[in-house]
Amino acid sequence: MPIERVKPGVVKVVPRKLSVAERLYIPKVVAGMLVTLRHLIHNLLHYKKLPIISYPEVKRVYSERFRGRHILTTREDGTTRCVACYMCSTACPAECITIEAGEDERTREKFPVRYDIDLLRCVFCGYCVDACPEDAIYMTRDYEMAIDTRARAVVGLRDLVVPPNFPVALEKKGTAGGTGLGQPIRQAPYPDEAPPNPDLYRGA
Amino acid sequence: MFDVHEMEVNFGPQHPSTHGVLRVLLKLDGERIIDAKPIIGYLHRGTEKLFENMPYPQCIPHTDRMDYVAAATNNLGFVETVEKLMGITGQIPKRAQIMRVMLSELQRISSHLLWLATHAIDIGAMTPFFYCFREREQVLDLFETYCGARLTLNCMRIGGMPDDLPPGWLDDLEAFTGKFEAAVDEYESLLTNNRIWKRRTVGVGVISPEEAIEWGITGPPLRGTGLEWDLRRAQPYECYSDLKFEIPVGKNGDTYDRYLVRMAEMRQSNRILRQCIPMVKATPAGDIKAKISRVIRPPEGEVYHSIESPKGELGYYIVSDGKTQNAYRLRVRPPSFVNLQALPVMAKGHLVSDLVALIGTIDIVLGEVDR
Repeated sequence: MPIERVKPGVVKVVPRKLSVAERLYIPKVVAGMLVTLRHLIHNLLHYKKLPIISYPEVKRVYSERFRGRHILTTREDGTTRCVACYMCSTACPAECITIEAGEDERTREKFPVRYDIDLLRCVFCGYCVDACPEDAIYMTRDYEMAIDTRARAVVGLRDLVVPPNFPVALEKKGTAGGTGLGQPIRQAPYPDEAPPNPDLYRGA
Repeated sequence: MFDVHEMEVNFGPQHPSTHGVLRVLLKLDGERIIDAKPIIGYLHRGTEKLFENMPYPQCIPHTDRMDYVAAATNNLGFVETVEKLMGITGQIPKRAQIMRVMLSELQRISSHLLWLATHAIDIGAMTPFFYCFREREQVLDLFETYCGARLTLNCMRIGGMPDDLPPGWLDDLEAFTGKFEAAVDEYESLLTNNRIWKRRTVGVGVISPEEAIEWGITGPPLRGTGLEWDLRRAQPYECYSDLKFEIPVGKNGDTYDRYLVRMAEMRQSNRILRQCIPMVKATPAGDIKAKISRVIRPPEGEVYHSIESPKGELGYYIVSDGKTQNAYRLRVRPPSFVNLQALPVMAKGHLVSDLVALIGTIDIVLGEVDR
């Protein structure tokens, strides 16, 4: 036994004793198998009620309050509701919102010239929605945000702004196949974006 | 000096049973552990320093990311500490208090379910994993319906709650609590009297009440030694003093007793949830926020407040200079970090395979250990 070589007093050996009933191995194995079998038979009989979603074909619909990808809503006349007041970017704990304000020559009203959200920095806390005084920014039930380059995680006005009368409030029960709201993030490369450097993947 | 029979082995940081990026430096004699030294810091993000540089409300989403399997209790501890610092603890509406208790008890259930699933799978029992995750999924669905996120909840605000309960939420909760007791029975039928489970857990990692106090252990590992210490009873916060629940305690302080304590705690949490449902129905809807100013600027002073998180005593210590909107100093007392310090005491003399059971039984989350 290797234990004899260890210096005395260093090792605390704890005896393991089980009663006779606990040492009987077979009954508990049978009991455990019965649980599994009961579930197997129950699931075979009720296979349509199994909580399984065949994901890319059937999509999960989250609740109304789900905090997914953002949208910027527009007014009836097609202008964006955002007045570039910087409330959202001030409230943002991840500092992921970048706004540049412009002024409309005619109405003297502020509007965002640039409104970028870095989705890789965003923590989806919902503070921007809480902070917005104009009900301009909302979070949707869209949760599919896969991208192939980091630069595309920064979404701007053209990805965020949705048409007027966009259904912001959704009914609770969705149907299979629909994801909710947001528009898909553009997958085609942006024209001003350099193609990925192939040397990065060669391993030098 | 150097003993030819001794061998040093790194257990982790990429080992799947270390539940994250924990590295344990083992000194072995054959299969037997002479010394185990936990080496941490791989997930250090400087959360405390981050907190000192942002206004109090913005810290709440960051507390989610410390113990990321129990975000609601992290939120609760933080908002309560700031409320205590501002002296508005008494102004929190009853409905908000009950909602906070409900969310943190649901979180306790979900955290313990994750613990049981991973602990059992570490030891070799694969089946409970699937059943635990079935119920955990329902808890996460309840969170998602309430606040819109499943793990990083951000579900509490300083002075109250962000939103009222959505319609039908209490019915969903009632349906869940009705079924949950039978689900715990099912996990117990698989494990509690199972011979293999007992051989792997009984007498493993024994810690005495005195040692537990010396090491500052809290939560289920402390109660597993037989000490009845639960902050929900010892220093009641929110509406815990109105609720009837028992504090399950163990006897021997071994891995098996800690398992029993956590199983009993899940049943007690379920019991609390069942009491909360009629209580919250009796309060006026929409009364969820105390009337406080939008800009949170606590007076000068310092405060320590702790709550019973699923893993033990979670405390926050805030120093405010009274001038700014952020803390001058903010310190988190995480239960996982303190409980992890007892790992060498527990592990000495056991086999390497027992270390897997011991890391599981302490129930650490490395996001909280390293912060």
